[in-house]
Amino acid sequence: MATTNRSELVNQLNRRTFLQRGGVGFGAAALGTLLGHWNPSSGCGQFNESAAALPHHPPKIKRVIFLCMAGGPSHLETFDYKPELERLDGKPMPESFTKGQPIAQLQGQTLKCLRPLTKFKKFGESGLEFSDFLPYQSQLADDICVVKSLVTEQINHDPAHTFMNTGTAISGRPSMGSWINYGLGNESENLPGFVVMSSVGGRNPQPIASRQWSAGFLPSRHQGVEFNSSGNPVHYVQNPRGISERQQSDLVRSISVLDSIRNQKIQNPEIDTRIAAYELAFRMQTSVPELTDLSDEPQHVLDMYGATPGDGSFGSNCLLARRLAERGVRFIQLYHRGWDHHGGLEKYMKVCCDHTDRATWALMADLKQRGMLEDTLVVWGGEFGRTPMFQGKGGAGRDHHIKGFSMWLAGGGVKKGHSYGETDSLGYHAVKDVVHVRDLHATILHLFGIDHARFTVPFQGLDMKLTGVKPARVAHGILT
Amino acid sequence: MYKSKYSQNRKLFFFPRPFIILGKKCFSPLLFVLAFLLISFQPWQALGQGSRKSVSFIRDVRPILSDKCFQCHGPDSETREAELRFDKEESALRVIDKKEPRQSEFLERILHLDPDVLMPPPETNKPLTAAEIETLTLWIQQGADWSEYWAYVKPRAQPARTRQKDSNWIDDLVAVNLRRGGLFPAPPADPRTLLRRVYFDLTGLPPSPLNIESFLADKGPDAFERVVEKLLASPRFGERMAIYWLDLVRYADTVGYHGDQPHNISPYRDWVINAFNSNLSFDQFTREQIAGDLIENPSESQLIASGYNRLLQTTHEGGLQPREYSAIYAADRVRNVSLVWMGATLGCAQCHDHKYDPYTIRDFYALSAFFADIDDEAHFKVGTNSLPTKRPPEILILPKADRIELDSLTNEIAKVNRKLASLKTELSKKTKLLDSKKVANQPQSDQPARPLDKENLDLESQIRQLNSEIKSSQSVKTNLDKSKSSIEKRGRWTMISKSLDNPRITKVLARGDWMDDSGEVVSPAVPSFLGEIKKETRADRMDLANWLTDVESGNGALTARVFANRFWYLMMGSGVSRSLDDFGGQGFPPNNGELLDALALEFIESGWDVKQLVRQIVTSKTYQQSSIPSAESSKLDPYNEYFSHQSRYRLPAELIRDSALSVGGLLNLNTLGGNSIKPAQPENYYQHLNFPQRRYQPTANEDQWRRSVYIHWQRMFLHPTLKAFDAPSREECTAERPSSNTPSAALVLMNDPIFIEAARMLASRTLASSQNDEFANRLERLYQLALSRPPESNEIELLKTLFQSNYEVFSQNQEKAKAFLNIGQAKANTNTDEATLATWTAIARAVMNTNEFITRN
Repeated sequence: MATTNRSELVNQLNRRTFLQRGGVGFGAAALGTLLGHWNPSSGCGQFNESAAALPHHPPKIKRVIFLCMAGGPSHLETFDYKPELERLDGKPMPESFTKGQPIAQLQGQTLKCLRPLTKFKKFGESGLEFSDFLPYQSQLADDICVVKSLVTEQINHDPAHTFMNTGTAISGRPSMGSWINYGLGNESENLPGFVVMSSVGGRNPQPIASRQWSAGFLPSRHQGVEFNSSGNPVHYVQNPRGISERQQSDLVRSISVLDSIRNQKIQNPEIDTRIAAYELAFRMQTSVPELTDLSDEPQHVLDMYGATPGDGSFGSNCLLARRLAERGVRFIQLYHRGWDHHGGLEKYMKVCCDHTDRATWALMADLKQRGMLEDTLVVWGGEFGRTPMFQGKGGAGRDHHIKGFSMWLAGGGVKKGHSYGETDSLGYHAVKDVVHVRDLHATILHLFGIDHARFTVPFQGLDMKLTGVKPARVAHGILT
Repeated sequence: MYKSKYSQNRKLFFFPRPFIILGKKCFSPLLFVLAFLLISFQPWQALGQGSRKSVSFIRDVRPILSDKCFQCHGPDSETREAELRFDKEESALRVIDKKEPRQSEFLERILHLDPDVLMPPPETNKPLTAAEIETLTLWIQQGADWSEYWAYVKPRAQPARTRQKDSNWIDDLVAVNLRRGGLFPAPPADPRTLLRRVYFDLTGLPPSPLNIESFLADKGPDAFERVVEKLLASPRFGERMAIYWLDLVRYADTVGYHGDQPHNISPYRDWVINAFNSNLSFDQFTREQIAGDLIENPSESQLIASGYNRLLQTTHEGGLQPREYSAIYAADRVRNVSLVWMGATLGCAQCHDHKYDPYTIRDFYALSAFFADIDDEAHFKVGTNSLPTKRPPEILILPKADRIELDSLTNEIAKVNRKLASLKTELSKKTKLLDSKKVANQPQSDQPARPLDKENLDLESQIRQLNSEIKSSQSVKTNLDKSKSSIEKRGRWTMISKSLDNPRITKVLARGDWMDDSGEVVSPAVPSFLGEIKKETRADRMDLANWLTDVESGNGALTARVFANRFWYLMMGSGVSRSLDDFGGQGFPPNNGELLDALALEFIESGWDVKQLVRQIVTSKTYQQSSIPSAESSKLDPYNEYFSHQSRYRLPAELIRDSALSVGGLLNLNTLGGNSIKPAQPENYYQHLNFPQRRYQPTANEDQWRRSVYIHWQRMFLHPTLKAFDAPSREECTAERPSSNTPSAALVLMNDPIFIEAARMLASRTLASSQNDEFANRLERLYQLALSRPPESNEIELLKTLFQSNYEVFSQNQEKAKAFLNIGQAKANTNTDEATLATWTAIARAVMNTNEFITRN
């Protein structure tokens, strides 16, 4: 009888991990072929030599934590103060700004200016401006780089998210987290390399499709795995009722042995991959609950984040993000879905900032005090911004806006206490140092040591890139 | 460390050829001369005079030109440099000297030292590899032979196909190619493997132990052929084929964007299943989907088929800009129709001429114009966040008896309505008359009221009579309406195609920008290099459908090749051309062009007979070979491009669940088609959906165990059991699913209640029918059910250990056994004690998690 035992399997797996990290001509993508994660005779997702040469240059970061403020937070009530809007409040929006521009819900309506619905102050040595809605993030004035000149191409939520995550509005393309894990490999032995979480609360929450963390045409092991804030943290990660851990481990071992026995007859090169997948699945059954169990966090840390274990809050998710980062997860995406403020903007900004502001600060402070901010990139932002024009769906609010909005970046390789790019006097068009979503992608890849133009995968006859076919540039102005 | 690695990589990347190690900075005229001498002669010498390797333009050269040169020297006129193009021979000959090959500028440029002169330019990140340079050099040395692109020429007749012989011509054509590659076919597969294979391929389900037994016992020379006929005639055939078709046309039960509400379309899925079962010829299959509504007096079934044009993702998100989505829908349809029928990536021409194939941006918009008549924009305004949402136009589909009853009800309702109308007219007339009389009879101020005369009294009684008649008719109508709506509730609505009287105007959108209104207006037309549709009036979708399957003067030959390749892939595991969705220059040319031509001709000449094509393939020896490659064939044919053996691959997601249900005896095959089903899934799985928030109501009755082709396809959150095994979201066309092997899939197969339930039922079957309760006997029964074979002795030994450890736990802890056995709803049919059943469930679970269980060999 074959005597493949557990420790042998673990050894096998470690050898693979070694290969994956050794970088001796074996990029993670090459490993995919080796492990047979996709059919080499298939037309899609073939191994491309461009990924084997990664990184192209020394990386500055090991991981990204992307705080996705879904719905499109107003740049005009957060980071981009426009006194001119005070003056024009209630007056017609000058047509020179809006003529021929795409418009969402305000189509066919009279366009009027809306003043900033809060006050702004300068903070820190940098003197970056923050609105009153952000009492905690304003304390990060000397840590972050605010980019005020983002532009995107999609004016409705769903395609705009798809564009922000995959670089195109066409469905079925890989998202950024998948690209990065495909190129650089998963650093974690017990967890997926791309994790997505979403928190509760806020205005009527934005729907988010699993397309946003899809691996598209890349091998599906690089797709994002959704961690739930309540119930089972990962689907099917718990043993079936009545089955103990010992029984489950017996099962995994038996499956491996049965596969190995059969393999003596049919020589299936995929068997090793399969055994490894079952081993990792089994380890996840322990590592995921261990990860999401916050009982080992001291009370002052929970307080700092404003987290109560199991509450599904943005605070809890930020704390989980730090724990994921500690365990080598490369791409962590946290959605807060309440930012679509067509009306009642003041009220709902308060709600959303109450949910997220403190936790965002806590995550940054915690990463910093642990020395992790140096090789982590934190990104804060939505899929678009909001119009300088008034919309009144239940109190003053703003419509979707794609021609100029703000995000911030912080961490490895990014300037601290810096403001980059500008919109015009009304916050409509990005006019200086414009950063297209493609440029953001190029910049993030650059920080990972990847030249976006050379990081391609053939699919349906094209060399696909995260940054697409149109020119993209690294925003060097935000980098140290 | 990074630094050195970086510079090394850079060097490797930009200067891939060993003799160009000097780099740009050391460049000098002297070195240039020296190097040029080297370059001018070395390749020839290195290759030896008259190298034996023969280069084929289509197979070897054109793919390199396409990948490395077309970007700047190809079909796209906007990015073309120096007016030089390598997709046209006469242009290429400007830099290729056939008489003095060594003098060709082409060679000089691809071998040049100076990065400013070298082609492709280093900054394109598309350096030629050493092997590619060798191929191109050889090609020019051998006379720069040129031929038309393989996919666009008519398939050539293959004498092997028409020769009357006992053998299947497929084997002859495969054999010729095998000889070219120095390969031999694999031996025939063992009968159990073969039977499992053909059952999976034609029905998507494993054979029962009885099927296996009777096949093994059948010594007739045509035993296998008879099995094939039986399976082709089985209704399971349509269900199996539909899975593939539904991937191609991106069939799903929800709209896909934003709120991802369900839309009404499931009758279309059933139409596809029926079409495969009734072997509707592929050309008619094409016509009914693209233009079923344009057939004269279309049948209900043809209208359902026309739902093809409505399968795309749609939205009614607040703030959508109708013109933007008009453009998005048009592009979506072009991408789909061109990928599905033409194997063309025409989607690339949305913003510019195609970089690799002769499709122009004008072709893209002219093709989209065929669909500009489709009436489907009402939902921009009337789309609702109801479940299902509204996507007019839709029709109601009913079972026949219901349809008859509904029609008669509709008649009766119309009758009652007419009656009511006339009664009401009468009533209002009489009421007015009475009123006027009353006014006339109005007493003068100081006189007593005069009594009503007889005429007036009559009038009043008539009015009373009328009122009572109206009341009774109204109650009749209420009842009729009730019956009508209860019948309608039993029916299913489905989206169909309907032509607008005035089709939308289609303009070429420069750079794909929908806000740019300045482009040329185009009429429906097929890509110009593929011909034209000759018609005086505006060409319509029917013309397009006919053109797609017109072999003589349309796209028929290409369509036939595309589908011959795909059916081959479904039966053999890979296509004759590895590209299932790109027959353009960036795709892989067929390794065996004669075979693909013959298959295409078979398809066409049989009258687009799908079952005949499948029959031809599966009755070949090539199909029936073993899937275990010989050492030689692993080495020489690692991708099985020569078909020197069969393929082995993991089953598609639907077939994994169906197999589990089937071996557990749970699979419900009572009906064909019907409403989509919702098997259990994690409770919070739809938490990210909104507009409205969703509560998943799992199907509670026996329908939950129907085949997976009927599972509700939620585009944004596909059922996790399907998703774990690479079923696509069906947002776009999928011609080939990836086949992954992930921890998530392992977690699903081990822990998803669907599989625990199936394992329990398999255990229950094992226990129920086994007379002999020896462990080995029971295990054999389980193996026969699950894997169609008896277990090996080491497997028995291993599972006995697993049995003992589990029995120990369950027999000492009844509560755990109970909890384990309570997963799912199916009731085990056995009198065995709980500990034994739970333990056998654990064994079944192990077997169902083996690679073998989910693999087609």
